[in-house]
Amino acid sequence: MSRSSKIVATIGIGFVGIILLAAVFAPILTEHPPNTTSGLAFESPSADHLLGTDDLGRDLWSQLLFGARISLSVGLAAAIIATVVGTVVALIAGYRGGTVDAVLMRVVDLVLSMPFLVLVLVLVTYFGRGLSVTIALIAGVLWARPARLLRGQVLKVKEFEHVVAAEAMGAGLWRILGLHILPRLTPLLSSQFVRAAAVAVIVQSGIAFLGLGDPSSVSWGATLSFANNASAILTDAWKWWILPPGIALTILIVGFAFIGYAAEEWADPRLTSYGYQRGVRRVLEEHPASPAGENESLVVRNLSVHYETEPPVHATTSVDLRTRSGRILGMVGESGSGKSTLAMAIAGLLAPPGRIVEGEVVLGDTDLRRLGRVGLTKLRGRRFAVVPQAAMSLLDPIITIRRQVAESALMTRRDGLEYASQLLSRVGIDPDRHDAYPHELSGGMRQRVVIAMAIANQPELLIADEPTTGLDVVTQRELLDLLDSLRSELEMDVLIISHDLRMVGSIADDLAIMYAGRIAELGEASAVLASPRHPYTELLLNAFPPVLGPRRPPVPIPGDPPDLSQIESGCPFAPRCPKVFETCLETVPEYVPVACHLAAT
Amino acid sequence: MTPILELRNFGVTFRGRRHVDVVAATDISFTMTRGERLALVGRSGVGKSTIARAALGLVAPTTGAVLVDGNDLGSVSRRQLRSLRRRIHMVFQNPYQSLHPGMTVKRLIGESLAIQRVPPADRVELVNDALVAVGLPIELGSRYPDALSGGQRQRVALARALVAKPELVIADEPTSMLDASLRGVMIELLSQMQDVNDTAILYITHDLAMARYVGDTIAVMDKGRIVEMGPGEEVISSPNHPATSALLEAVIQ
Repeated sequence: MSRSSKIVATIGIGFVGIILLAAVFAPILTEHPPNTTSGLAFESPSADHLLGTDDLGRDLWSQLLFGARISLSVGLAAAIIATVVGTVVALIAGYRGGTVDAVLMRVVDLVLSMPFLVLVLVLVTYFGRGLSVTIALIAGVLWARPARLLRGQVLKVKEFEHVVAAEAMGAGLWRILGLHILPRLTPLLSSQFVRAAAVAVIVQSGIAFLGLGDPSSVSWGATLSFANNASAILTDAWKWWILPPGIALTILIVGFAFIGYAAEEWADPRLTSYGYQRGVRRVLEEHPASPAGENESLVVRNLSVHYETEPPVHATTSVDLRTRSGRILGMVGESGSGKSTLAMAIAGLLAPPGRIVEGEVVLGDTDLRRLGRVGLTKLRGRRFAVVPQAAMSLLDPIITIRRQVAESALMTRRDGLEYASQLLSRVGIDPDRHDAYPHELSGGMRQRVVIAMAIANQPELLIADEPTTGLDVVTQRELLDLLDSLRSELEMDVLIISHDLRMVGSIADDLAIMYAGRIAELGEASAVLASPRHPYTELLLNAFPPVLGPRRPPVPIPGDPPDLSQIESGCPFAPRCPKVFETCLETVPEYVPVACHLAAT
Repeated sequence: MTPILELRNFGVTFRGRRHVDVVAATDISFTMTRGERLALVGRSGVGKSTIARAALGLVAPTTGAVLVDGNDLGSVSRRQLRSLRRRIHMVFQNPYQSLHPGMTVKRLIGESLAIQRVPPADRVELVNDALVAVGLPIELGSRYPDALSGGQRQRVALARALVAKPELVIADEPTSMLDASLRGVMIELLSQMQDVNDTAILYITHDLAMARYVGDTIAVMDKGRIVEMGPGEEVISSPNHPATSALLEAVIQ
């Protein structure tokens, strides 16, 4: 949760907390009953009557405190009933589907389409004015909204693999609904609950203000109603007769709204901040980076990125890297090796707690760390473009692919659409599919769309993070061939990040092997593949036998990659290395350009 | 011996958008008995996963029949269906989705036991044994999947399959979301399982190199049909169908 929404949540909880305290301690905070005469009519505030009395001599301070009880209990009770009913309907409709779903959803539509407040008013007049009737009626109209929203969520969650997995294991209905689906609804459920509570409070006050509330209890709405009937607004009495319940009502509703806002962000978290941190930029003024050399576009020097968690994670350590003009650099490593962090750091897309603690990122003659968020945004797309991991599932589902590509082309709308079509054809999408929506396309096609967006402004450098993961081998091959041909056509440099050494090795000109946040080996692809110098590279190559040739068992790499929050002495690969010797356990090998003690000797 | 899984002229047609029918599988027939290893290979969208889901009764056939241990899934009761499902275990493609994020590793692995009504006291040892068998430390049992790497998660998924002692394991692209370096590990673990329980393995993949090592038999699918089926080495050394050749070329460096 972001800092701002934490603040919002705290304020919200504080506001509701104040009202809650008033409700709980009402009998202690006042000795007067709220609904019987305890003084003269229209008394001014005094020590005995903190807010004075109303036209019947009832204590207004007491009405305020006891009103909190009514508002809170109506709000919470109606919200509980509404969300429980809504959830049950959502579970049944969403999980069963078919006719049950259709019937229940038509009922929901019906309830939602009715004028809500008018409906409650009519029902109150019909069913009577007791508090429990009010609660039941409010809940009776409030359940439909959570039901509709939660059903949508159930439809989504029931396709989650862990739910299907439970079904596949032969789990019964209760286990699936209660253990697998319901817990995934809680974020949405909690925000809907808070919203329902706020609406219930407003509606109850409205009913009471109109004089249709429970006559035996004095709620804020009723206080306001009495004040209105006694024309308090025309006299000085409004200051303690109308203002306090009005403020209390506002505090409670704003409190609920704030909690709901925070709960919604919790339910749907998004990245909120980008870019390089300011502190780093100040340090930079004294250490200007030297520009990239000839035939180089991107130069990364001594780059260290930490995730400032407890304990901090050293995601990359002293990484040196450069892309050479018109060449494809393949960056290969296991998950957790820091390769995606590196890509995000280069693109200035590192989100906190990630932070560049040392090093330089230079694109041509531009020091990327110096640019603020705005400067980077201007550069992104034109000078360099990023295809982030799993980008193909991040396309907007309700906009055609052509318009999405046009949007990234930074052109007038008409030219943009025409240009988008050219781009889409260039990446191999048939013209009759240009106006398709993302879900109508296969994963490979969607990835082509993302590539079209990335090359729309002819970047000098294209960074593609795992562009083929999750796609079938034939599609992988086609996409890599596409990147290869775009590279020569657009004269751009390409940085491909992947976990599959063989796949990337087949098109890369240069290879960088990453391990534990460091470059283990860097060199021309042909040389690295033919005679790997780092034992890790060798193991990666042999981890799986090729499809042709003699059958031999795969040789899994023993052990797991190190935990980057623990700093160990010695070579980070030593615990898994078959060729380990004493020196390896003592010092980290220098990178020359193979980070291995064997290569140095 | 009754085959654990049999598909007879199996076909599925989905009603797609704008009422255009989408054929997901056509005229698929094969049987699997215990100890057999079949690799089902093909590009995305050729109908491999439809077959996997149909074997568990999660997708109903439009034509033909799916039989589990001789029982036609189309004519069994819901209760029987649930108990038949317990004899087959499916390992899913994406370990970031197939494990409930709110359950600890221990509970996740024990879930198949809980479903089979094994008393909680007996589960502990079985779960710990399974953790060891897939090469995970027992301490990991109290963690949540969020704290695990992709490879560790998929091992948890395999441990869950292991404790269920199924007669057939269906693995639907279990390595495609994982590091290439973990493919070998997957093969090792699956063959262990086969050795111990004589489990049949239906392995679904797009990678012929992988298929070669997990399947004694390879069936190549294209556009909803099985276009080529035979002993693994034969299919790879002399492919007969263009779909097979395309798959092969994509993985030859």
